[in-house]
Amino acid sequence: MSPRLRRWLLHPRLSLAVRIALGLVFIAAALPKIGDPPGFAKAIWAYQLVPGKVLNPMALVLPWLELVCGLALCLGVWIRAALTWVALLLLAFSLALTLNLARNHPVDCGCFGGTTHRTDAERLTDMRWLLLRDVGLLLLAAQILLATHPRKN
Amino acid sequence: MLRGSRSTSFRTLALAGLAVGAALLSNRLASPARRLAWAGSAVPLSPVSPGPAATPRPEGVRPEPVTQEPGRGHLPHSAPPTPPGKTPPPASVAPSTPEPPSFSPIREISSAEAWQAFHYGTPFLDARRGSEFAEGHIAGAWSTPVWESDLDDRLLSFKAARRPGSEDPIVIYCSGGDCRDSHLLAEKLLGEGYFHILIFRDGFPAWVAQGRPVEKGRP
Repeated sequence: MSPRLRRWLLHPRLSLAVRIALGLVFIAAALPKIGDPPGFAKAIWAYQLVPGKVLNPMALVLPWLELVCGLALCLGVWIRAALTWVALLLLAFSLALTLNLARNHPVDCGCFGGTTHRTDAERLTDMRWLLLRDVGLLLLAAQILLATHPRKN
Repeated sequence: MLRGSRSTSFRTLALAGLAVGAALLSNRLASPARRLAWAGSAVPLSPVSPGPAATPRPEGVRPEPVTQEPGRGHLPHSAPPTPPGKTPPPASVAPSTPEPPSFSPIREISSAEAWQAFHYGTPFLDARRGSEFAEGHIAGAWSTPVWESDLDDRLLSFKAARRPGSEDPIVIYCSGGDCRDSHLLAEKLLGEGYFHILIFRDGFPAWVAQGRPVEKGRP
């Protein structure tokens, strides 16, 4: 990578914009789920990956973790810690989508709360786009991580 | 550098702790319809199966050999005979039942059969969310949302009011299509000793489409 491109990609202003955008995505994803934990539990159950005992605690804590990390990113506090969770969550979401795509099991994302009734083919197509979106968000997280000085945050 | 990574680890854990604390508090303050039991769901969360749910009938309960055309005749009272060449799916709820199942206490029914059951005064249970029930439901149905924390209380009040026997038919519905909420509720009722559960497969959208009686409002 040329030093010029590198400097441009890791520019503090770009990093600030990316950080706020990523934070807002996580806040927007968290709020509807915090408002309706049973709906989110149902969405997680549809993925058929989580044991019944873990389902409810996960549906209760995960949206709050998204909100806390989203706020931290937007406010610029504890950025690296928030990014650790954001990256882990995005990896987990991608893995869940990949596993269900691999076994041809259509699921609604549940990412931003409520779901609409769609056909299985539409769901499978959406899942591919969602996977791409998660990879994009992971790249944003990587940008912030590389552009943020470890000692400061 | 080492100090930096240690403080990041601490902050990572602190963020998780903050989320758990907030979740505990918000769940405590939430209304029953928005609350979740930390220990687990009230319904047995069996895997999603593509076909109709079929579970073995416990011993000692004999099916009546009734044959009828769907949509005609009297109220559907027993499951259709197993088609030749097809074996029923293996046990999922009562693995202790030794005999191979020959009868399914949970059966999917068509719109016509549901309409018939409605005429016979069979109780209808609505497995959808309470908010969906409030927006519109089959007239006289009971709201028993499987994903909400007060499901057991709602089922208790249904049982107290209707006193259904273990052989009495109960119709369960949700929003049709690939909705599995009816099946989850059916498995729960089966576990509680009800052996005549009819799942209205096409659910509320089909009921509305056919202009059948509906009601609105909270239970």
